[in-house]
This record gives sequence, structure tokens and C-alpha cells, in this order.
Amino acid sequence: MGATFVVVLREGFEAALLLGIVYAYLAQIGHAESRRYVTLGGALAVLASIAMGVAVSVLSGPLADVGPDVIAIAVIFVAVVLLTWHGWWMGRHAREIRGDLQRRVDAAHASQQLWMVGLIAFTGVFREGAETVLFLWGLLAQLQDVSSWTALAGGTAGLVGAVVLGWLVFQGGRRLSVQRFFGVTSLLILFLAAGLFSAGIGRLQGAGVLSGGDPLWDTSWLLEDHSGVGSFLAGLIGYRARPSALEVAGYALYLAAGSPLFFPGLYRRGTHRNGDVIEPAQTSRV
Amino acid sequence: MKRLTTSPLLLVAALAALVAWSPRAQAQDKAPELSLTAANQTFAPAELKVKAGQPFVLVVTNNDPKKSIEVENKDLRIEKVVPAGKTVKIRVRGLKPGSYVFVDDFNQSAKFKIVAE
Repeated sequence: MGATFVVVLREGFEAALLLGIVYAYLAQIGHAESRRYVTLGGALAVLASIAMGVAVSVLSGPLADVGPDVIAIAVIFVAVVLLTWHGWWMGRHAREIRGDLQRRVDAAHASQQLWMVGLIAFTGVFREGAETVLFLWGLLAQLQDVSSWTALAGGTAGLVGAVVLGWLVFQGGRRLSVQRFFGVTSLLILFLAAGLFSAGIGRLQGAGVLSGGDPLWDTSWLLEDHSGVGSFLAGLIGYRARPSALEVAGYALYLAAGSPLFFPGLYRRGTHRNGDVIEPAQTSRV
Repeated sequence: MKRLTTSPLLLVAALAALVAWSPRAQAQDKAPELSLTAANQTFAPAELKVKAGQPFVLVVTNNDPKKSIEVENKDLRIEKVVPAGKTVKIRVRGLKPGSYVFVDDFNQSAKFKIVAE
């Protein structure tokens, strides 16, 4: 039971985190009524995950061998693009929102943003969705054993745990001041996206599309990346105990390219009026 | 601001260049296949030998009628679901000499080992 709890919680963790942030974000910019975009994105992703799970179980041959990898890698990079766009948008508009605490973001800006928020929800849920579906399905398929009932209870508890986690992120995020929320989530999304970008490169290396893949260093003596805190950090900021050179380079490159987009205020300091910048102190105090 | 918006494009371009450059190893198409079956939460054989540096293909058959498995090795960035009753091919790059433990991520007690020498 404990094992299935952990499997489902781990698969659902990232989705819960993203959904929590996105719901809180809508509440923060005064568009709580637009939650349906996020809910729709998440619900469509659940359907897509089930469809994918069915497809993987029914198909065979090269399509089944390579297809899931191609989709998994594509979803990772699409998620990176969306999160980058989101971070850039938040960076650009942070000052408007900062000017007047709970003021609504310009409606045109916001509506341009909403389908994207729905897409972020979609990729967040879909990324680990098909796997979770197949895993839970396996449990459901053998409910005649008593042990499977406890396993299923564990899986359900894991799902509930992920939902609770998302709810906590939402509640916590909603209660922060707007500037603090933007600062914290920008930083979080920057590292999340850097981790995803690097993970996508790793998957390309694993699939043999990119060469290399031998570890550049090994910090597994300090923290393994597939258990407990390590796997939590792996999901959150892309921690790897044995990263390849390309993964490290990709991570660094993303941070270097992403931070001016996410925190334009830090890079334009001194050239604009005071009101134009996000205070650096607030973004680094996390 | 315009200068800043080009940086994601640069990232994508850099990645595309890397993909284009990397040796797409036609050798991989001739890569030897190694078969292995999963059933009752065990893999058979539990240990496979490969030549170091030589890419290969793992052909994993899941004989369990109901449970899917996920063949995973974090270090090789491989995680591949093998649905119940299915066979899936997994490409593995050439490995440095050493032993590599794969687990079923859905049931961590099921493992097998690949020894590259």
C-alpha cells in the first residue's frame, strides 16, 4: 500500500504544484472566474492520459516502441515553452500589478493569457498522466486479490495527497501579497522550467538522439535523486545526482536565458523609473 | 525587450543544432537485441551481458496478464511503460564498462542488471 501511495503521489506532485500555482495566479490577478480554463485544461489532460493509456496498451510495433517517448519528450519541451512564456508575461506585467495592489490586470492582457494558463494545466497533468493511468489500471484489473484492494487504497490516498498538496499551494499562494506571489512563483517556475529543459535533453540522450550521457559528476553520496527528498527536488527544480554534461549545460543555459525574461526589473535597474522595477530583494527572499 | 525575446529562440536553435550534429548512429539500426521477460514481479534473466560501447535494444515482454510495468534506469534516463501482455523495444546507448540496475518503477522490488564489459 505504501509503495502505490508513493508512486501516485510522486507522479501527481508536479501536476498538483502547477495547478495550485495557476489557480492562485488567477485569484491574484483578479480573474478567479477564469478558473474554468484551468479546470478544462486539466480535465482534457485526464481524458488525453486515458486515451494515451489505451493507445499504449492496444498498439504494438514501432509505434508503441517510439511513440510514447516522442510524445513524452514533446510534452516536456512544450511545457518549457509555455512556462517560459508565462514567466516572461509575469515579469513584464509585475509592475502594473504592483502599482495598485489588488488591481485587475488589463482585461485584454489577461484574456490573451488564459488559454495559455489552460495549456499549462494540460501539460502539467498530461506529463505523468498516461503512466499513472496504466499503473492504476493494473491495480484495478486485479481487484479479486485482497492485497490489490489495499494497493488501490494506497493509490487513491496518493491521488488525494497530490490534490491536498495542490490545494495547499493554492491557499498559500492566494494569501501572499501580489508582489511576493509573483516573485516566489517566478523563481519557482524559472527553476522548474530549467529542470524540465534539462530533463528533456536527458531524455533525448537516453533515446540516443543526442550523444553523450555519461555523468559529469556524482552527488548521490549526498542525495539520491530517486528517493524521498531527492525525488521531490527532482520534480521541483530538476535535481539530478548524476547529470550529463549536456544536461548541466542546458540547465545553466536556460537559467541564463530565462532570468532576464522572468526578472526584467533586475536587468533594467537604473535605466527606468523606480516604479518600473521589481525590487530585487523581494525576488531573492524566498 | 526585443533582444530578450530572442533568447528562447536561441535556445531552440542551439538544441536543434545539437540534434542535427549528433551522430544519429546508423549503427543503432543494427544494434543487437537482448530479450527479457517480466512476470510475477521478476525479470528473467536477472542479468544480461553487453559489449561496452555498443548500443543495443532491450526487448522486454511483460507476461503478466494484468499489471503494467515501467522499466526504469534513472542514470540512463530510461523510463518505459510495458503494458500487460505486451512487448516493447527499448534502445539503449553504448555503455561504459560497469553494471546498470534497472527496476520496475511500479514495483521497485523487481530488478534486473545489465553488465557492460
